[in-house]
Amino acid sequence: MSAQRRGRNVVWTRRAVQALALLLFLGLFLAAHQREGRPAGGLGLFFDLDPLVLLATWLSGHTLAGLSLLALLTVAVTLVLGRVFCGWICPFGTLQNMVASLRRRLRRVLPRTEAFSRWQRAKYFLLVALLVMALGGAHWIGVFDPQSLFYRSLATTVLPGTQAAIEKGADAVYQADPHLGRAHLTSASEPAYRFLRDRVFVAARQVFAGSGLLLLIFLAVLALNLYRPRFWCRYVCPLGALLGLLAKRSTLRLVGTDAECNDCGLCTIRCPAAAQPEKHGRWLPTECFGCWNCVAACQNGGLDFRFAWPWRRPQASTVDLKKRALLASAVGGLGGLFLLRITPEAQGRVYEPSLIRPPGARPEREFLQRCIQCGLCMKSCPTGVLQPAWYEAGLEGIWTPVFNARIGYCEYECNLCGQVCPTQAIVPLPLEQKKQVKVGLASIDTSRCLPYAYGRECIVCEEHCPIPTKAIYFVEAEVPLREGGTRVLKQPRVDPDLCTGCGICETRCPFHDRPAIRITSANESRHPDNQPILPGGSGLDSYGGGATG
Amino acid sequence: MRRTRRDFLRQAAALGGILALGPARVLGRGAGEGEAAAEPAAMAIARWDAAAVDPGLAEVARRLTVQALDAVGGLGRFVNRGDVVWIKPNLGWNRPPELAATTNPDVVATLVRLCLEAGAKRVRVGDYTCHDARQSYVTSGVAAAVQAAGGELVYLEERRFRDVELGGRRLKSWPVYPEILEADFLLNVPVVKHHSSSRVTACMKNYMGVVGGRRSAWHQDLPACLCDITAFLKPRLCVLDAVRILVAHGPTGGNPADVRELRTVAAGTDIVALDAFAAELLGQRPESLATARAGAEAGLGRLDYRQLALRELTVS
Repeated sequence: MSAQRRGRNVVWTRRAVQALALLLFLGLFLAAHQREGRPAGGLGLFFDLDPLVLLATWLSGHTLAGLSLLALLTVAVTLVLGRVFCGWICPFGTLQNMVASLRRRLRRVLPRTEAFSRWQRAKYFLLVALLVMALGGAHWIGVFDPQSLFYRSLATTVLPGTQAAIEKGADAVYQADPHLGRAHLTSASEPAYRFLRDRVFVAARQVFAGSGLLLLIFLAVLALNLYRPRFWCRYVCPLGALLGLLAKRSTLRLVGTDAECNDCGLCTIRCPAAAQPEKHGRWLPTECFGCWNCVAACQNGGLDFRFAWPWRRPQASTVDLKKRALLASAVGGLGGLFLLRITPEAQGRVYEPSLIRPPGARPEREFLQRCIQCGLCMKSCPTGVLQPAWYEAGLEGIWTPVFNARIGYCEYECNLCGQVCPTQAIVPLPLEQKKQVKVGLASIDTSRCLPYAYGRECIVCEEHCPIPTKAIYFVEAEVPLREGGTRVLKQPRVDPDLCTGCGICETRCPFHDRPAIRITSANESRHPDNQPILPGGSGLDSYGGGATG
Repeated sequence: MRRTRRDFLRQAAALGGILALGPARVLGRGAGEGEAAAEPAAMAIARWDAAAVDPGLAEVARRLTVQALDAVGGLGRFVNRGDVVWIKPNLGWNRPPELAATTNPDVVATLVRLCLEAGAKRVRVGDYTCHDARQSYVTSGVAAAVQAAGGELVYLEERRFRDVELGGRRLKSWPVYPEILEADFLLNVPVVKHHSSSRVTACMKNYMGVVGGRRSAWHQDLPACLCDITAFLKPRLCVLDAVRILVAHGPTGGNPADVRELRTVAAGTDIVALDAFAAELLGQRPESLATARAGAEAGLGRLDYRQLALRELTVS
């Protein structure tokens, strides 16, 4: 078989593998929701396979405990085959391939020659800076890691948007009920809608704070493919950089001969990585995705991938990472670290009341050392209480999960966020243990609460409180009325020993603008310093004094 | 709600059908079954015989439901062939059936079966829940039981509620789920529970699960709001599940110590009477219950359920 024939076969095989990997990614993504009796394992497969997640989390958390070592498989494969993870597996890379091919079809012109650009070194400098930051405990790789970026974007923007469009469309048809005689459009649209709702989406539609900006970032990254194919992978991706460094001496190498080459340039036009396949002996294994496009493109069969012993020097070039630039990147990382750490919250002097973390979240410092902002917990959360942080956790904790109890609440019978977290930033607690965890404390705003402020009955917060013995109780109070006389009303109080801060009281409070009962991070189990209330009831029972009266 | 000519014709035809066939059905049934179905009771209370061999709670619930329904004339009295029935259990909370925060799944499934046997075309089961319905339907055991019995689970969608003229004293109009109103027969199946506002939650309170909107505001005047929705819905039959009841920390519960296994099912056409009976089960005097009292005053039923044509059964 000629090299070109073989190249074409491999390219088609690669496309099939890419499609399967993307479908697997999307399948696992859609499967991340609560369902009785189903284990949550495997949902974070692509994060487990990501060596950047493993390395950076190890550096920032100083431990491998709770981390999947599956990423070592990716490392091994990269050492043998090169950056094939980027070319064959990475779902975000595949999506970018698709956008880039759209560009070719739309423009209907010969694409430009993709020459190597010195800017491709940027990703290595970013990697160094991020790893230096990680070493200091600031885990910012999730902002740039392609698995995190893709998952987060799907979870917070693409899926909710798609779901909303389908729901609104089905509702419009349902309500207008267009029909021709006895043929109603709803008899087609309703089953289709129910199929999508019950079989595809399954989980209820969520809404996310600031999802517009996250969508813009996602679309911008995709749009850059119209400028250069796989722009992100070439110039920015720190995972690509890490794999590139590992691929420097990979055993599968591109081999070309000048004799067969007529300088037609087809190989370099088809190369999405600008890896210089046309310059024999100067091929860039650190850039190459191993996609085999060049082999398939060469009509003379002048290019081929061949195995070589790792100790043999490759007939290849390297990207010149200047020592000075690397040092500057490291200093930049330190500077970034410093920038993130000068806030009062990061200094541990104050506690942000709205910084309420999922149940099982480690103490804030440790949590930030592990959270990769992937959004898996947010996607899995049945009520949508978990939202991407914008300011609550400072810049360091951007897009990490925080509670917004006006949007949702922490379901008493659910511990899914801890089960799915790929880095155990949220510890996977058994359900009974999770029910004991306090994420915060409810407090009543007596200037709004109906029985306090407006002389009206209302028991909604108590009604919804899921604690078996109710963390909200009533004290009967005689309230004077405007028209004279009094009325006895049940006024709610919060028992700080029982309240876990789940927030359903805030979600269900009749006030939807600013609820009259709200949760803050006070009393959270993970921070003893943020627990203002001595546990064990209000009396002085231990010395026999007891509550008076 | 807009009503098309087609709807009107269909309903008129259905009404005509009921008028034409209804009495004949009842008569024919009475003659066919002899003396057992002499005069259907207005209310029936089926209690499990403590001395009987225990066949397991599921079977107990099944037999209680069948007997109670039989005593009020069977579902054939209420369901016509080809009807769409909506069964409204209380599935508000994500709690397993053992905690008695939701209607017993075997009671619901038995009713589904009885409705289908009575000729119903479709039996739909749904509640506008407080917790996520996708969880509470499953956790309550009702999802599996209903599907096994041939019923159809419906997940109510917030966006599909429509403002409906209730013409009530307190509520002029409120969002109600259209598909529930479109059903030919609405069967209300609450579980008896303690409740911090209404003290007892049973039949009338269960109607909160057919309305949407800012329904939590109803607690500011619960008796009046519940009377308004009850008067609007004109209940024809309610079934009270007291197989297990929740005696404290309702309506959510969560503590097995607050659950009592009463092994009782009641059915009846008088919603206030059933709520009065539910109050007694929780150790309350019916007159002390603001909602039931308001219901009686509004002419929705009577508190002294013993004055009705009452049949009390001991089931084994």
